[in-house]
Parts: sequence; structure tokens; C-alpha cells
Amino acid sequence: MDASHRDRLALESRALVVVTGKGGVGKTAVAAAIAHLLAGRGRRVLLLEADPRESLHRLLGVPPSGGDLVDAGPRIALLNISPRAILDDVVRDKLKIGALSRRVLASPIYEHFVEGAPGLKEMMLLGHALLVTEGEADHEADVVVLDAPASGHGLSLLAAPLLVAEVIGAGPLGTMAARIARHVADPARCGVVLTALAEEMPVIETLETIDALGERVGRPPELVAVNAVVPPLPRQAARVGGEAVHLWQVRRAAADAALDQLRRRWKGPTVLLPLLAQAFGPEMVTALAAALEPQLAREEP
Amino acid sequence: MKGPLGAPLLVVVGSGGVGKTTLAAALGLHSAATGTDTLVMTFDPSRRLKDALGVGERAADRAVAVETDLPARLDASLLDPRATFDRLIERYAPGSAEADRIYRNRFYHQLAGTLAGILEYMAVERLFEVADEGHYGRVILDTPPTRQALDFLHAPQRMVAFLDSGALKVALRPWFDDRGRLRAGKLKVFGKGFEALLDRLIGLALLRDIAEFFQAFGPLYEGFRSRALDVQALLRSERTRFVLVSGPGEERVADTLFFARKLTEDGCRLGPVVVNQVHPEVARGERERGERTGALEEGLRLFAALGERDRNGLASLRGLLPGIPVAAMPLLPEPPTTLPALRALGTRLAAAVAP
Repeated sequence: MDASHRDRLALESRALVVVTGKGGVGKTAVAAAIAHLLAGRGRRVLLLEADPRESLHRLLGVPPSGGDLVDAGPRIALLNISPRAILDDVVRDKLKIGALSRRVLASPIYEHFVEGAPGLKEMMLLGHALLVTEGEADHEADVVVLDAPASGHGLSLLAAPLLVAEVIGAGPLGTMAARIARHVADPARCGVVLTALAEEMPVIETLETIDALGERVGRPPELVAVNAVVPPLPRQAARVGGEAVHLWQVRRAAADAALDQLRRRWKGPTVLLPLLAQAFGPEMVTALAAALEPQLAREEP
Repeated sequence: MKGPLGAPLLVVVGSGGVGKTTLAAALGLHSAATGTDTLVMTFDPSRRLKDALGVGERAADRAVAVETDLPARLDASLLDPRATFDRLIERYAPGSAEADRIYRNRFYHQLAGTLAGILEYMAVERLFEVADEGHYGRVILDTPPTRQALDFLHAPQRMVAFLDSGALKVALRPWFDDRGRLRAGKLKVFGKGFEALLDRLIGLALLRDIAEFFQAFGPLYEGFRSRALDVQALLRSERTRFVLVSGPGEERVADTLFFARKLTEDGCRLGPVVVNQVHPEVARGERERGERTGALEEGLRLFAALGERDRNGLASLRGLLPGIPVAAMPLLPEPPTTLPALRALGTRLAAAVAP
């Protein structure tokens, strides 16, 4: 086996990487770091964001996408999309006849069906990612990194295709849902990264999400990324004392306890990302990617 | 409590992960400690906070008394959007048969958990219920942990818009005959193509559930609509005050300003703004004292930089929000999850906000 092959990270062979996590844990920064890392290793990456309040562009140091593809560096493109717009496109595509599709799209029933049908909009997001990696969209990428919406730990997103397939059943939407569900459940094609913090509550929630992923999507996460980990306290710190050292000490002890709790129940790949003082921007992404790469290489079987 | 925290309804808002729930509980303790019967309504407390307040699973949707030796009553409850929705239907359904029809509907089951804004609407609806009952001198509402933290503010308007839209009226036409088959004739308003599309895209089973839901919902329409308008008015009344919680650091300033502007534009009473979990300032002496290795030096530099970052954020926020009290709460080594720690936090917050 040659070095370059041995060196290849598992994440590099995924067509879709979904980065999930609750609000405030740094999910978006982790998504940007993974995209940065994969692009640095030669993959063409599309970073996909669905939150109408854009923030990924700030991490990449580019203008906001506003629904258009933005070039965000070598082999990285950024796109902010509205799931609703994708769904409207699908309807237009299925209907072919312009007048009819306009009437459907303008009808209040369609409106409330789209807003109310469980999982439909979430599924469209994954569906679009799938089209991109299969070369069926108007932009191409080797891998799509999706910054999942924060609600429900991203689980509602990943469980959406199965839900839609169940509720709608036959017909083009049902068929599409089943296809996306198979893709998302396949660890060889889709990687799920859970972002957490080394704190009691976020760890409990992460463990719950891991269980729920198994139950509702039929797969484990590929990676748990624990963000903003307080550095280990050097021995001579106790002699120095002071408020900052005390804070450091107690927070590190809490982080150790939380990480123990995580490792007791989750035996899969885990990376620890350092607490950083960098502002929310490209420097932070570079620092996170640099911390991520050696750990990912170590986690390889 | 006096000043802005003296309002009978406090709504604690902000992005996820900034400590809203803890601050809501702390304000509750301080409110009861200063002699006001208080209810704290939370969404998603950590297990330890639940233990501290004594709100186990039994508290789901029902208020339980928090065991304190405070001069006034403190109750806490977990919000259960589904139970609130069920109660609303019970209230406005003409009879139990009509209510049962909705409860049994498959679409309602999914709708109650997934329709955008339902969770948020149910939070304000519950606030209204409690305010209406008048058992408490003060109610403190912790808001749902959504990214779009202000969704609930517009939830009543959306509910009204939804009820007023043609969707309901059209949907109320009897689409299906007694045997559950689509009555094609009733869909003339959209033409044959629409029916065929619905069938092809969605399948008739879901459509049937939706139509049945709207039919069952029809008699409840007026009650729901006026209720949503009342809830909307309450949020903008003088009785309600919004406590906006922000994370520390300069990168949060834009977010916080966005929320502050939205609340003000919507006619809500904003303030105080609480910048939570601010890193302490690392004194120069502390950074330079004693022998140290690279790791110690690096760690202290990290904490010093975080302290500086947080103070810069605080200063720019204060400059950008003139006239609104901006209180800084320190990052505590351990999250406050005992009643005494929460009470101390509440007292500290009230002191920081006091004019």
C-alpha cells in the first residue's frame, strides 16, 4: 500500500457530509473546517447552507450567497438555498405545462401542504445535495458538505426522507424520498458528523441523538466532533493560581467528566477541537481544520 | 423586582446555547425572593436544572411548586406544545365528538410536531393561558431553542394568516365521499390537472388526512382566530418585557443587534439585554507571575484573549444600543444548577440591570 493511499481519509470518499448539532455548539464552523480540509486534499467541495440568515460566508471571508453559487477559494463553492425554492422547481419540472404549474404554485393548498407536510422541505435539501454529487444539478462537486439546520439536532433533516417515503408512498415524490433515504442511510456514501461540546448537557443530547439516528435513520454517525475543548491544565498552573487559572481548572475538570461520559457510551471515531480565541472568520476555520486533520488520520482503521 | 424586570410577563429570548433557560430560572428565584408569586415556564432544561427546580417528567405541562424558603410562591413548568394544542382544540370544539375527530387525525399528529411555528405559537398560547388565569404576579417564559429565535413573535400573525387564507375554506369543501374517494367535481376550482398532480405527487392518503383535518377544524375557526389576535396583543402590551440574552464575544454583536431591532420594530418592549458567560479579565500580574512552561503561558494567553474579545463585544454592543440596559454576566466555572446558585445569579442580574 503506498503512502498516499494509506493517507486517504474516510471522509474523503463520501459524496455527502451532513454536519449536525444543536445551536451554539459551533456546527457551522465545523462544517466550514471539514470543507476546507477536504478541498485542501483535492476534493471539489460544495458547502450548502439552508439557514436564511447566512453565516458561512463570514467564516470563508466571502460575500453572502443570496441563493447564488459563490466561489470561496480553491475547490470550495458556497451556496445558500431555500428548500422551498427547490420544491417549487420539482413541481415545475414534473408539471411541464407552465400555466398549470403557475396555478398550482400559487394555490393556497399547495402553500399549506408544503409548509405543513412533515419532512418535505428537509428532504428537498438532501435531494438537492444528492443531485449535485450525481452531476444532475447545474453545478458540480465531488462532495457536498451540508450545514444542517439547527432544529432537532439535525435529526429531523436526516429522518425526513424516510418519513416522507412513509407518508406519501408511491408517486414521484415518494420514489424520490425512498432513494434519498437509501443514500442517507448508507455510511459509504453519506457521512454524518455530530457536533458537540464537552459539557454535561450537550453530551447527553449527543448520546440521545446517536441512539435516535440508529432508530430513525438506521445508521451511526461517522464522527463526533467535540468543539471548544478547554486545553489540559499543566501541573504548575496550581502554583500560579488566580481567577483565570481557577476558571481553566474547573472548566477542564467539567470537560474531562463530560468526555468520559461520552466515551463510555460512544466507542466510534471522536475528534476534539480546541477552544479558540480567533474571531468568527477564515482564521478560525484554518485553525479548526489544522486540528482536525491529524486526528482524522489517526482515527482511520 | 423593579425597573424593566418588574413587568408581570418576562419573555427570555436569544439564540440557542446562550443560557436562556438558566437565566429564566435565576430570574424566577429572584422574583419570588423579592415577594412576587412567580411561574417559570421552560422548554428544554438540562437534567440538573430540572432536578434543582424539582420539575421532573411529572411537571410536563403542569406547574409544580419549587421547594424554597422564599417569601413568595415559585412554580415551574415544562412546556408541552402538544398538550397545549390539544387543550386549545378542546376549548373551541363544539363538542367532544368534533375534538376526537381532530385528535385521531393522522395529519394532526404530524402537524402538531412539525408545522413551522406551531411550537412557537403554543409557547405564547400557554403564556396567555397562564396570564389569563391570573394566579401569578409574574410569569417568566423561556422561549424555544430555535435558530430563528423570534419566530414565536410572529406565530400569532401566522396563525391568523393561515386561518384567513383561502386554504381553509377551499379545504373545507367535502373533497371525499363517504367511501374515502376523491370527489373530482369538487376540485373544479383548480381543474382536473390539479387533481391529477396531487394524486401523482402526493398520493391520496395524505391528501385525505389533510382534508379531514381542515374539515374537523372548521367549527373551531373563529375561536382560534380571536385567540391568536389576543395573544398577539399581549406580546406587545405594556405588561410584557423582553429580556434578550446574547452570547459573549464580538461575533455575537450582529446577531444581538438583529434581534434587538426586530423586537423594537415589532412594537415589543425590549430590555435588558444580557450578555451572558463573559470571560473574566486576566490581570497583567496574573499573566506574568511565577515560572511557567509553554502550555501554561499559552493557556493563560487564550483566556486573556477570550476575556478581551468578550469585553470588546460588550463595549460595542453598549455603544450600539443606547438607552437600553446592557448587563454583563460572568462565565461561571460551574454552571449554576442548585437553587442557591440560581438565586445568587438572579440577584446579580437584577443588580446589574437596576438603574
